[in-house]
Amino acid sequence: MRGSLRHRWFTPYAFIAPAMLVLGVFFLWAMVQVVWFSFTRYTPFQPPTFIGLANYQQLLSSERFWSCMLNSAVYLLVTPALIFLSLSAAMIVESGIRAGKWLRLLLFLPVVTPTIVAAVGWRLVLNPDQGLVNTVLTGVGLPRIAWLTDYPWTLISAMLVTLWKGFGFYMMVFLAGLLAVPRELREAAAIDGAGRWGVFRLVVLPSIWPVITLVFIISSISALKVFDELFVTVKGVPIEHQTAVPLIYEEAFGRGNFGLASAMGITLFVIILAFSLVNLRISRANQANQGAA
Amino acid sequence: MLERRPPLLTALLWLAALALVVLAIGPALWLLLIALQPPGTDLSSVTGRPTLANFSAAVDSGTLSWPLVNSVLVTFGRAVLNVVLAALAAYPLAKMSFPGRNLIFVLMLATMMIPEQVIVVPMFISIVNMGLYDTLLAVIIPFSVSAFGIFLCRQAFAAIPDSLEEAARIDGATSLQIWWHVMLPLSAPTLATLALFSVIGAWSELLWPLIVLQQRENFTLPVAVNELIGQFASSPRTYYAASVLALIPILIGFVAMQRWLKPQMFAGAVKG
Repeated sequence: MRGSLRHRWFTPYAFIAPAMLVLGVFFLWAMVQVVWFSFTRYTPFQPPTFIGLANYQQLLSSERFWSCMLNSAVYLLVTPALIFLSLSAAMIVESGIRAGKWLRLLLFLPVVTPTIVAAVGWRLVLNPDQGLVNTVLTGVGLPRIAWLTDYPWTLISAMLVTLWKGFGFYMMVFLAGLLAVPRELREAAAIDGAGRWGVFRLVVLPSIWPVITLVFIISSISALKVFDELFVTVKGVPIEHQTAVPLIYEEAFGRGNFGLASAMGITLFVIILAFSLVNLRISRANQANQGAA
Repeated sequence: MLERRPPLLTALLWLAALALVVLAIGPALWLLLIALQPPGTDLSSVTGRPTLANFSAAVDSGTLSWPLVNSVLVTFGRAVLNVVLAALAAYPLAKMSFPGRNLIFVLMLATMMIPEQVIVVPMFISIVNMGLYDTLLAVIIPFSVSAFGIFLCRQAFAAIPDSLEEAARIDGATSLQIWWHVMLPLSAPTLATLALFSVIGAWSELLWPLIVLQQRENFTLPVAVNELIGQFASSPRTYYAASVLALIPILIGFVAMQRWLKPQMFAGAVKG
């Protein structure tokens, strides 16, 4: 009962109130509302009226919806690329290479770059006629690719921006994991004759495995929530060639179907929740392991 | 130390590091070089004489000055509020016991599982009902605190020895004074990291300001640059220059704050 007798009863609530008010109104209450809206017909000109599961039925028979969900599933493929790139970056920075601190800083710059700026830069690099990428491709005899207009290249272009903007962040996460690998363990393995690869496979990899799974979950969740990269990088692409969140945005604020957009939101929420619950389970298991060790 | 690295491996490491750096700064650097080229249609060459003409065109278009001010206000406001509100809420959660503590904790945990993208419709309706539509407060308030920030602060406060708090109590300090004079100074690195995360997020945000802002004077920079892409379709160099201008303030801010960019802080970011 630390300090419990020394403060007035309302003190803790007063400290918590401002944060709880914001989170309560804009997240918890909004979540309750979006569930309700998803069962209603609701437009800017018409208050919500209950229509049961009609929105969900409409979703299931909507080609646009399925095509966007499929694209969201494809978008998840950015995750393994992110893990590979960020783990490699972390290992290079951590290898004791000179200027490691500068390298870390430079590789973090894309994280700081606003997505819109990143997207404008990548639009330039991926420009079909004059972009660097196509210049290189045609230079080695490969065909020109319409990165910004032709599906599925448009999706890949947006994924490139996500990869570019994200790997520096996960590099820091992996660095935290690598720094926590006990030095004695590595040295012991090296003395026992494990080569570099052996030390990595037998000591480093098992130690950071929990970090890899967590990064996998977290980056999958962000991939499901992607909006900015698509909205700007491949501006004007038909909605059925985009992913879940652009579809929600278009349905709500382009077409004014708040009810249907809410049902889409709930569907996305359930999928993301599945990932979050796995995440929670894993981090609990990790904490339990750490406690036991 | 492990055995010495063979020179070939060192060379490979440097090569890989170089490739990563080119990837990381390449697109933004290319954007800068193209924006510095004289107006024209050829977007594949950067050999012309550099000029600031596109930058003055972007500035003269007048569409960036208010967005710059707005972005600074939004970013600063959100960073300060995120630190203050999270640190306030974290103090009793870390150091006091009171009825409902666990319930509050669980509710806050729950908000981390609610992505804003899912609840944009009710958030938008709340903002309209509060009369905040098309104001900067609409961009600031809903994201003025995060459960992530509260957990980060709670972790830092929990590591502060109770004896310090007790000593302050004996000297007659109130809870608010202890928060200000003991908790905050002793967790300054965590608070700075939280501020850094807020600044990066707020400066870059596009979806939410796009939804709640309507008039040009109220736009934040990302929304304004997005608008420019349509407006200057015929002279893209203008919005290339505008994009570079949107990048400069955050780069300056980042360089100023980079010493709080420590990998250890990211361990918490993922555990969430």
